Amino acid sequence: MTVSERGFTLIVPNAGSCQTWEIIKAHPSSKKSRSKDQAAPKKAPGRPQRPLRRSADNCILGGVCGGIAKRFGVSAKGVRVVAVIAALFLGLGIVLYMAYWILVIRQGEEKAILSRTGSDKREKEILSVGTIAVFSLLLALEILGFNKFGLLTLFLTLTALGALVVWRGTSSPEREHLHRLTNAIATLGSSTGEGWRGVALRTVVSVVFIIIGLSNLSTVSRRPGAASGVVIGATTLVVGLVVLFAPWWIGTVRGLSKERRARVRAQERADMAAHVHDSVLQTLSLIQRAADNPVEVARLVRMQERDLRSWLVDPESFGVTSDPPTTLAGSAFEIEHEVEDCYAIAVEVVIVGDCQLDPAVLALLGAGREAAINAAKWSEAASVSIYIEVERERISMFVRDLGRGFDLSEVPSDRQGIAGSIIERMSRHGGNAAIRSMPGAGTEVELVLPLKTPNP
Amino acid sequence: MSDGALPRVFLVDDHALIRSGIRTELGDQVELVGEADQVEAAIEMIIERIPDVVLLDVHMPDGGGRAVLEGVISQQPTVKFLALSVSDAAEDVIAIIRAGARGYVTKNIEGPELIEAIHRIAAGDAVFSSRLAGFVLDAFASQNGEAEVAPPPFDPELDQLTVREREVLRLIARGYAYKEIATELTISIKTVESHVSAVLRKLQLSNRHQLTKWATERRLL
Repeated sequence: MTVSERGFTLIVPNAGSCQTWEIIKAHPSSKKSRSKDQAAPKKAPGRPQRPLRRSADNCILGGVCGGIAKRFGVSAKGVRVVAVIAALFLGLGIVLYMAYWILVIRQGEEKAILSRTGSDKREKEILSVGTIAVFSLLLALEILGFNKFGLLTLFLTLTALGALVVWRGTSSPEREHLHRLTNAIATLGSSTGEGWRGVALRTVVSVVFIIIGLSNLSTVSRRPGAASGVVIGATTLVVGLVVLFAPWWIGTVRGLSKERRARVRAQERADMAAHVHDSVLQTLSLIQRAADNPVEVARLVRMQERDLRSWLVDPESFGVTSDPPTTLAGSAFEIEHEVEDCYAIAVEVVIVGDCQLDPAVLALLGAGREAAINAAKWSEAASVSIYIEVERERISMFVRDLGRGFDLSEVPSDRQGIAGSIIERMSRHGGNAAIRSMPGAGTEVELVLPLKTPNP
Repeated sequence: MSDGALPRVFLVDDHALIRSGIRTELGDQVELVGEADQVEAAIEMIIERIPDVVLLDVHMPDGGGRAVLEGVISQQPTVKFLALSVSDAAEDVIAIIRAGARGYVTKNIEGPELIEAIHRIAAGDAVFSSRLAGFVLDAFASQNGEAEVAPPPFDPELDQLTVREREVLRLIARGYAYKEIATELTISIKTVESHVSAVLRKLQLSNRHQLTKWATERRLL
């Protein structure tokens, strides 16, 4: 590991001045070939490589240090130490880092962040507005007498603007990397973090911030430009506290929302289970009990099928006792359900058009219902078809079965079902009923109701 | 229709239970040449075996029956499809017919009826269930030949049903079999079939904007 040690020792003595960076850039300290080390582990520096790029695979934040290390074939760790020290002195290190970040192209990409941001009109606007706003704020503070910010404020401002550019202009792979990074940093040191080193790092950083903040606040009264001291001190203190407590706070928030999601899911599952139990399982046990009665089994199955369908179509209103239907179609389907449930016969309803219910339409449906029930009771057919067509000037309804049929002339004229419930009911509302049946060839009841007010 | 050879049938459905049920019902009345439970496998095997009729489940993962239909018809336009579904939703019915299926029946159809439908499709005719007939009548209803405020049809030949076609459809919707329709209207069964095929063509080719609008509006049932 002579290489990394050389890289390290070579640079460290110069650390502390911002010129270190210039030295690294201008005079690559390790220009000579290091081919011997090429097969060394990934982290170890290799041969100097052109062109100058930000590193994509060896990066913590923006891949700046990794990129420099690669370009000059030095140790990335060494460069990072230098960068941190440079950042602590005057903050110039941070500004340089930021500049490098937005000006140098990331490895494997085609454009630098700044040129990418600059080529988009909207991004450019956002950026210039941000810059103008920040500098006017600084100017205002300067005029109001907070003139103690000095160079540090300028650097911090530039850094913030750089961060804005980065935020707006990073490519998606890099954005993903940063996303992961910010997530990891926020919870570093919490139970899922990297153990004691994370906790220690976090604690040290926050304690440093808190001490700086407190000392700033405590010396405030003795200094003339007190206000700026208060601002800086308080801000630093808050940052320190946030750094210290963020993981626990974030952990709690995440835990809460996870818990809420889990509760919602559990609730949904319980609803589903309740429904399956109330409907399907109940019906299955009923079917088992009625296994030797095929008619009853068929009835149960049809009922369950209808039930499941309506639940699939509209689970919200399922089970809510709905109002009686107000349209012909709705009413016709009620008849279908009723006849299927009570008489163990399949009813197939086909409706063309629809209209509102009124006494005449209700009479038509009543007559049709009677016809369907007759078919169910006497025809011995497996199914009955109901066809309703709503036209402009009339409604026709056909109830048909392919059952055993009967001879019309043999039906006693006093039979209430056909005479009263079907024929007379229709004629009371100005309609007609015709019954066609032949023994062995089924029965069809045709009902026609002329409309006084034509449908739209 | 019955020229000796049994129609070669291919079955596409993602439920093994339904497939075995259909297989039992078909019995030896047709020649079953294959089954598939996935869209891609179905397309591949159908193109390879070229059956006369494909029994197609409408609701399947990966695009459903429609994906199979479109995948096959683009390469083998002679293969005919009979859609089979538990769904009676108008938009599903209309969509699968417009995609090229020559008929639509629900899965609770009786065995003999299904076999008859397969033979009819194999012979090049169309098969409408009573519900589909109702849908078609409903969709073409706003042009009853009476004075209407509806916009004039874009293509009168395609966008309107003739009086005879309407009569045939009405009888289908009332539950009549083709033979009964022929008797009722005193025409031959062949004529009934040609009316139904004409309606199918209109249904597939008509550009009536109402058709799609109607199908999407009528989400229930």
